[in-house]
Amino acid sequence: MMQRRDFFKKLGVVAAVSAVAPVMSFAGDKPKSKNAMSYKTAVDAITGGKTPKKSSKVKLKVPEIAENGAVVPVTVNVESPMTSSDYVKAIHILASKNFNARCIDVNLTPANGKAMFSTRIKLGGTQEVSALIELSNGDFLIATQSVKVTIGGCG
Amino acid sequence: MKTGIKIALSVALLSTLSFGGEQFAMSDADRAMYAEMLENNPADLMVANGEELLAEYCGGDEGIAAFLKQSEDSLPAYLAGFPRYLPEFKQVVGIDQVLQGLMSKNGHKPFKLKSGDMFDMSAYVKSLANGEKSNIDVNANPQMKEAYALGKKTYMTKRGGRGLSCNSCHSDAVIGSVLRTQPLPDLSAKGVAVAATWPAYRMTKSSLRTLQRRFQGCMKNALLKVIPIGSPEMVALEVYLTSEAKGAEIAVPGLKR
Amino acid sequence: MAQKRKSLIKIKPKKFKDGEVVKVSFMVMHPMATGTTKNKKTKELIPAKFINSVKFNYNGKEITNMTVWEALSTNPVFTTYMKINGKGKLTVTYTDNTGEVNEKSKKIKPKG
Repeated sequence: MMQRRDFFKKLGVVAAVSAVAPVMSFAGDKPKSKNAMSYKTAVDAITGGKTPKKSSKVKLKVPEIAENGAVVPVTVNVESPMTSSDYVKAIHILASKNFNARCIDVNLTPANGKAMFSTRIKLGGTQEVSALIELSNGDFLIATQSVKVTIGGCG
Repeated sequence: MKTGIKIALSVALLSTLSFGGEQFAMSDADRAMYAEMLENNPADLMVANGEELLAEYCGGDEGIAAFLKQSEDSLPAYLAGFPRYLPEFKQVVGIDQVLQGLMSKNGHKPFKLKSGDMFDMSAYVKSLANGEKSNIDVNANPQMKEAYALGKKTYMTKRGGRGLSCNSCHSDAVIGSVLRTQPLPDLSAKGVAVAATWPAYRMTKSSLRTLQRRFQGCMKNALLKVIPIGSPEMVALEVYLTSEAKGAEIAVPGLKR
Repeated sequence: MAQKRKSLIKIKPKKFKDGEVVKVSFMVMHPMATGTTKNKKTKELIPAKFINSVKFNYNGKEITNMTVWEALSTNPVFTTYMKINGKGKLTVTYTDNTGEVNEKSKKIKPKG
């Protein structure tokens, strides 16, 4: 049985790591946000360490080339019957190189009728966008696509 | 001599353009994604704000119809013909200037032409003409003829440090070439019909803007001296481009990069 | 502190029947400031102000609950689906990181 003290020790280690990581990755140039979180930390936080499976059931729609980084359309569709026994519990949208990799966590219910979510995100530069899906049976699925962010046109 | 310079410039421009094209041209699928975004255009929020402002300061749709001596039925087609020469103003005016006149008639201090509230309100008023075909008549009277000529002159005149005119990047010769991922748009009714899709939401600015405000942005970045909104040249430029886009169906607010 | 914000709820298609699955979009005017950008003129940091939670509530039942981070675009849009289940009201409640709480409602009237 784990002792209370040991538990806190472990917690302390985790806290120290997550507190140091953002400082290192954003040294100097950009002011760090208290919400800074790397892609890997974000995925682990959502899945609890499980490795998500790539799946063709997840349709992630993002432009290959974004005409500006401020408004990038993202649409996620997941094949699911959305019944009380088999439904998509959550759709998470992640951006691999934003200072906070987490964009949005959408918790769905069978009352949604269809597992779809669409929004627009900001991307700090060329990177990968992922849709991480949590199913009602506890499985995690993922789809990823890279997005080139350009500064296009004039003005 | 002049032609020589012109050719040199277009060749220089074209070479940068083709380079841009090879590097990053957006695919049609990507463009379709952006087009789909019109369904939930953030500008709808600003247009809703404009509707409230119009009700508060101008007596709503009826107020503007009465001010323009139109019935509510004839108002949409009439609005689709702006800018117009109005004798009360003794000049060719855009919808925003009409709203200023109406606000002041109603005893309110008019919004500045370059203000968010004015952009919102004029976008709402222009959206009343949605579905109508742009029907500007540049031969309606001498004032409109004059405005068209001035607008064309403003469009063609090379100015600023780089000696660029509007026509340098929007002439038939370069339309469709890609400049930094963006194809140079055909501004006429055959293309993006600018006059029928502005006011629009500018994604890079996260705000709703009018056509004249967009001209200013274009002038600033091409190093041309910026012409004030509502000035005769600016309204004339809108007249010229609206006339180029004549016949296009009005769909406001638009959504632009 | 609550502040008046412009927001819209759109349902597509506009006319729908009971039991139909419809597309519902919520859009709101909000800066979604990340707290990491500077004001170009004053060079000062623009304080973070972003929506951190959005909840869709239909006839007293929470159907969708979102945790939102800085990365959503200014004037964000949230689109999902919902199954029409009788006459009633859809309420969207949203809060931001500064504690501002707002809500927007729309009547749901299925035909046939």
